[in-house]
Amino acid sequence: MPDKYPLVDRGILVFAIWAVFGFLGLGLFLEGMARDVWGLAAVGVGVVVLAFVGHIIVNGVFDTGFTPGEAALGIGTYGLLGFLFVLGALQGGMTLADFHAGLTLFGALGAGFLAYLFTRHGLRGAFSRFHVQRDGLQGKGAR
Amino acid sequence: MIWLPLYLLFYCLVTLYWARIAAQANGDHQTYFSSGHSLQPWVAGLVLAGASLSGWVVLGGAADIARHGFGQPALLQAGIALALPGVFFFKRLWLIAERLQLSSQGEVLRVYYRSEFLVVVSTLVAVLFAVGFAGMQLRALSDLVVQLTAGKVSAAEAGMGLSIVLFGYVVIGGMRAVGYLGAIQAVLLAAALIGLSGFALVGLGGFGALNTGLLALAADPVHAGLFSVAGVIQFTAGIGREAAAGHEGTALAGFGLFVALMGFQASPLAAKIVMSTRSPRAIGAGQTWVLAGFGGVLVVGCMGVLGAAALIDPALTVGAMLGTISPWFSAWLFVGLLAGVQLVAGLALLTAGEALVRHIYKPWFHSALGRHQTVTVTRVVIGLLALISVCMQALTPVTLSALGALALPLSVQLWVPLLGICWLRWMGRGAVMAGVGFGIAGVLLTEPAGHAALSFLGLDLPWGRWPWTLHSALWGIVPNLGVALLVAAFTQRHPLNDEAQDVRRLLDVTLRGGSRVRALKTTAWSAVLAWLFLAAGPGLIFGNTAFLGTDGVWLVGMPSLWGWAVMFWATGLGLVWFLSYKMEMASPLTLQIPPYTPPPRLRRDQTQAEHARLRAALITLAVASAAVVLTVLSFGG
Repeated sequence: MPDKYPLVDRGILVFAIWAVFGFLGLGLFLEGMARDVWGLAAVGVGVVVLAFVGHIIVNGVFDTGFTPGEAALGIGTYGLLGFLFVLGALQGGMTLADFHAGLTLFGALGAGFLAYLFTRHGLRGAFSRFHVQRDGLQGKGAR
Repeated sequence: MIWLPLYLLFYCLVTLYWARIAAQANGDHQTYFSSGHSLQPWVAGLVLAGASLSGWVVLGGAADIARHGFGQPALLQAGIALALPGVFFFKRLWLIAERLQLSSQGEVLRVYYRSEFLVVVSTLVAVLFAVGFAGMQLRALSDLVVQLTAGKVSAAEAGMGLSIVLFGYVVIGGMRAVGYLGAIQAVLLAAALIGLSGFALVGLGGFGALNTGLLALAADPVHAGLFSVAGVIQFTAGIGREAAAGHEGTALAGFGLFVALMGFQASPLAAKIVMSTRSPRAIGAGQTWVLAGFGGVLVVGCMGVLGAAALIDPALTVGAMLGTISPWFSAWLFVGLLAGVQLVAGLALLTAGEALVRHIYKPWFHSALGRHQTVTVTRVVIGLLALISVCMQALTPVTLSALGALALPLSVQLWVPLLGICWLRWMGRGAVMAGVGFGIAGVLLTEPAGHAALSFLGLDLPWGRWPWTLHSALWGIVPNLGVALLVAAFTQRHPLNDEAQDVRRLLDVTLRGGSRVRALKTTAWSAVLAWLFLAAGPGLIFGNTAFLGTDGVWLVGMPSLWGWAVMFWATGLGLVWFLSYKMEMASPLTLQIPPYTPPPRLRRDQTQAEHARLRAALITLAVASAAVVLTVLSFGG
């Protein structure tokens, strides 16, 4: 009996990629912050980006995009980490290496996210992903 | 320490997520036991490799090297040892299961041999894996939790917590959850092993520093035995009775260990995965490239590095390392180890639960049990097995260890029935049953569990564990094969039953090798025997000096035996590839196998017979218990 859930394969691959590269990247990033070594944190960011690339490749193989759950989790985590970073910066307890590491993480993820949107949906399409139009206002008069 | 609970919580959420996906796909109980034979081949390949290696590679293999050095180099061939049985059996087993519409080893044994004894043995092996083998690994993990939490969590609490997670996803999702999660767990385990060996190398200052440390150890005459095989064999009375000269690691001890490792893929656990798979397409690739190739690298490389590092510096044992590295890495690596252990534990629990209910309880005592009720009873039995394992981990770790040590050698005894089913049509029911009986006796008489049972009854054996430095697996399989061959020679006229004859016809027609395969048969036999002799057999003693210069220098920058193991892992990979593809033992197969239609048989009401059987079982149990108590009162205790 064939599997009723063809996207199970995709799910297993995505979980495996993030379980390995996601957590390794996070570990390296935190290690860099703890040791005040920007290079190490940057390697961690690189590994996280690698996990994203792996995820996108898997999406490509299965001809699909990020699921709503994945998008929500990703954006939520990004927002939470960003909030903690800003909070840390405002408290003033960060070293310069920490600050640079944080900027590298958010810069790389932000740039990567935009690059993904533009390459997948095009400039106009990427904007449309967020520009929600109300029903009944579409067409010539819609703004 | 927040990281460990955080990562464990995340792991629990992932297991529950996949259990839910699996339960939805199962329709609760319809395909609970075998995932509707729809497991993706690549998933099955990963799960087989992960379950074969399991947490044993880190918790057992590396620890063994850390204690005994490289005196047991056959251990480093675990990747090949674990892969070889699958090459021999899996493709044929899958075909037979597909033809006869079966989903477990017990069912195949019952249908082919019509032997309840073999079904009981297969069930016993599954239970030993579930309670003993996996229980030992879970106990080791619980100890790590105690260490990582500085004693805030006790071993019993940790064992209970880890078992609840395990029980949860197995009970909810069945085989499908074990398969889906197993693929992720296998990847996590590999990452943890690579990560741990990486940390060990960083701790020592690199691979060069590791070997400098080993060289310094080897220069000390006290430790020289850590780097050599102690002869081909030593005729000692066994561990606990008579110590071997130097150490226990003789070449044939290594061979025994190699044979024991070959037991895993002859077990009902491995058969469960194979028979739950949609197609045999990936068996060859899984056994060759995933297990013998990548798994072999993990064993001969990462496990070797981990063991060697701990040999040089006890602060680099797995437990000590996890306590000293950063908490986020420590938590991640721990979750990797947990995943590896739960992979095999979950599979074992499901297989044992199914075997006890579907192969013993239902056909013997309650054939009217419906599908839904069978799943429910199996879930209860899985819970009981998990509970027994947890209690034994906390209360009787020595007994647990003795039971766990029986799992692999007893599983090896199933080689003979599997050979009869898959390859040797002349190996009949009587031959196989007699062989397995002798094999089990051989194992029990050379393992602490058997010794303890006999001693309890007042009979002290004059030998200890593993006499002549030979593993109990070898003490079992030699009489097993010998008796089976002997009996088979005298029972050739016994006809096979209908299903067995159909299976023989199917295998003969479907897997008839071409002229090239027939021409290569002699080469294949020679290659296998030569490889076994040099890589895992008596030829291991050549490894003592093969890469040793005249002035004691290591010619390949690592201990000679380690270099020998790496060389024979590479040739072993070639051998597995040759057998899988060139000899077509595990090559892809895309045929549609029509199901076997059994001749119509009258189905009689079994209720009376089942009640009588239950009464007989209870009376036998009571009489046997009384006899044991009387014997113990008279002679033992």
